[in-house]
Amino acid sequence: MKYKHFLYLLIFLISPLLSFANKDLMADAQYAKGQYKEARVSYQALLNEGYQSAALYFNMGNACYKLDDIPSAILYYEKARHLSPADEDINFNIRFANQKTTDKIDEAPEFFLNKWWHGFILMFSLSTLSILSIVFIFLSSLVLIGYLFTRSVVLKKTSFYISIVLFAIGLVFIFMGNRQSAYFDSHKQAIVFTSTVTVKSSPASAAKTLFVIHEGTKVDVLETISNRIKIKLANGSEGWIGAGDVKEI
Amino acid sequence: MNKKLYILSVLLLWASVLFAQNTTFTAAVAKTEVAVGEQFEVAFTLNGNGERFAAPGFGGFQILSGPNVSTSMTSINGSTTTSISYSYILAADREGDFVIGPGSLYVNGHIMVTRPIRMHVVKGQPQRQMRRGVPQQQQQAPIEQVSAADVSKNLFIKAVVDKTNVYQGEQINVNYRLYTRVGILENQLDKLPDLNGFWSQDANDKKQMQVVWRTEVVNGTKYNVADIKQTILFPEHSGNLTIDPLGMTFVVRQQAPARDVMEQFFGSFKDVKVKLKSQPVTIHVKPLPYAGKPVDFGGAVGTFKLDANMDKTALKANEALNLNVRVTGAGNIMLFKTISTNFPLDFEKYDPKVTDTISKEGGRISGNRLYNYLLIPRHEGKYTVDPIKFSYFNPATERYVTLSSKPFHVDVAKGDKEVNVSALSPADKQDVKILDKDIRYIKNTNKNLNKLGNEFFGSVGYYLLLLLGPVLFIGALFYRKWHQRHNSDMVKVRSRKASKIAARHLANAKKELTTKNAKGYYEALFKGIYGYLSYKLNIPYANLDKETIAETLRSKSVSETLITQLQDTLDFCDMARFAPVSGISEQEVFDKAKNMINDIEDEI
Repeated sequence: MKYKHFLYLLIFLISPLLSFANKDLMADAQYAKGQYKEARVSYQALLNEGYQSAALYFNMGNACYKLDDIPSAILYYEKARHLSPADEDINFNIRFANQKTTDKIDEAPEFFLNKWWHGFILMFSLSTLSILSIVFIFLSSLVLIGYLFTRSVVLKKTSFYISIVLFAIGLVFIFMGNRQSAYFDSHKQAIVFTSTVTVKSSPASAAKTLFVIHEGTKVDVLETISNRIKIKLANGSEGWIGAGDVKEI
Repeated sequence: MNKKLYILSVLLLWASVLFAQNTTFTAAVAKTEVAVGEQFEVAFTLNGNGERFAAPGFGGFQILSGPNVSTSMTSINGSTTTSISYSYILAADREGDFVIGPGSLYVNGHIMVTRPIRMHVVKGQPQRQMRRGVPQQQQQAPIEQVSAADVSKNLFIKAVVDKTNVYQGEQINVNYRLYTRVGILENQLDKLPDLNGFWSQDANDKKQMQVVWRTEVVNGTKYNVADIKQTILFPEHSGNLTIDPLGMTFVVRQQAPARDVMEQFFGSFKDVKVKLKSQPVTIHVKPLPYAGKPVDFGGAVGTFKLDANMDKTALKANEALNLNVRVTGAGNIMLFKTISTNFPLDFEKYDPKVTDTISKEGGRISGNRLYNYLLIPRHEGKYTVDPIKFSYFNPATERYVTLSSKPFHVDVAKGDKEVNVSALSPADKQDVKILDKDIRYIKNTNKNLNKLGNEFFGSVGYYLLLLLGPVLFIGALFYRKWHQRHNSDMVKVRSRKASKIAARHLANAKKELTTKNAKGYYEALFKGIYGYLSYKLNIPYANLDKETIAETLRSKSVSETLITQLQDTLDFCDMARFAPVSGISEQEVFDKAKNMINDIEDEI
């Protein structure tokens, strides 16, 4: 009688886990069958439940892309990229989807040091970095403990230096994680969702029209003043548009 | 020879005559006070021979004719006089004091100048001025000597303008009228006016104008009047613009004085060729006022109406849309610049097709201009085409008027095929090389689904795990410190350790010692030492005897004295089990055994 209660409890605990796994598998299967609409709904349900992962966003983006909803596809790809910046699949699909957008924007060339820097801090995803940093700091401590208790001079020397190196690597990982998190926090980006947006020279709607952008274009959000946001394009052009025209990544 | 001398003498005589003559070069006018527009003659006369006449500047006057050169030679009583006269017919432009500068001439290499003449120009009577001013230039027909004054009274061309003070772009009508009291046999248009600074158009389209004669009384004199040419003008820039004169050549029949009776009876006349020019008319053109000038003002002057319509309000992307803007009214319709329009930026727009329908009814330019804009929306959405604005200047009220159409709402549905329009950097995005045919497939594995908002990095758990290593290390550090403190005294440590082992083995002996059971005590002590050795030397208890012990200890390089001592103690204990011993207390034996065990512990 007692173990039965226990069984119920176990089922109760595990069933949500199983349910998301089921939904996920279901969505993947729907996608594989080409039922993109259904797959999108399933992925959306998962997202609504609060799950997130690079893969989930990526798959959602794929479903959107297949349904010819390019702005949404780009939005989800970009979200996936935030979670896994160095993933080649994600970056490839972003490039691919960007070919389908209306605006052809020449990216202003980035200073090579900046490029290297971003490449460096985005080398690993944030979760990878946190795990790596913990592992390295822990290993470093263990080796240092070994250093404390070994009697051999050679071992003592070696373990000391190894420990220092491991600790330094761990610190670098923490630093990278910190920078990456700051980069995504400060680097607010958004995708244009309105088919045609006129970019004005100031927040006032009567301001001069500077240029026009179309849906699917990625913009950097620089500041927000009551429902108007200041945006910057990859080519360096800046201007103001309505906050409702974009969705933040 | 004689002949030659004669010729020489004649020449010398001539020279003497010339030198003797007092050469004068004078400038003369009939009167120094003239009215504006009144014509008068200035004559520069040289009595003698001169060359390279340079005319002075006639500032403030208009040259109507000249220089007219006449030479005369008179021979009176053998003295011969030559004279050259350069004459100009001038008319004053405006009132004031003017100076006719000195004219110059070379006589025998010497320069001669005239005295400047001071002229006083007064305001003349308009009618008088008009009439006087009209026949400006008369070139004498080669055959007939006709004075200008003769013909000018009877035949002149007048340029009549309806206004002389207008705004830029305001219409002016110029009418060239011919006034005549004489019979005209022939006429020929010499020169059409250039009308620089004006946009001009003939008021009558007909090539061959039918001249309609009427009569008009000017200053009490009846003239036959005909309109030669009517032109509509629009000044193109501000300032004082001059309407050029119209030049015509006429052949007129004039009464000639009768030379005989026959002629008197039949009347005598002669045909005279006269060249006439109209008087230039200066139009004062005011610039359009700056105050209140609309930004999109395109130069329209007059009165207009605006009408705009669009052929569709709902269409698909990439379909064409027509916007017709019609400006109707009277004014400089054909001189408008394009209407400034403000179409949504996503509309592809083409230059408008402009159709003018102009009528010149009643000498006024009126009609309409139709702008046909072709627009192609490139993207879906709801668009608002801003109202078409058209501004014009109304010279009658001297105000700018801005007309505005209603705004147009266009609903653009998604087109059949999206065309990429580069709104930013047109046509310079390079063609992307084919990367692949499709996006990459979804990720089926390694999903790591997390609840949103559970960012591990930076969370409390993360820091705790991060601190785990260092905390362990600190713990280890403390442990080592404690360990070191306790192990600092080697002897103490060893004795403590050894006595611990000894105590364990001698525990029974100690128990017997307290009960004062001597026999039991020694037995226990003996067994204790044996037990210890058996444990220490790893020899089974049964195989243990004194020789084995000594041998094994020696092999472990225990000192000989200790071995001897151990054997003595063992012997003593063995003996004391059966016979009472004296000279050494039981406690002393116990301590001895204990020390021995400690020593062995030290040495092995």
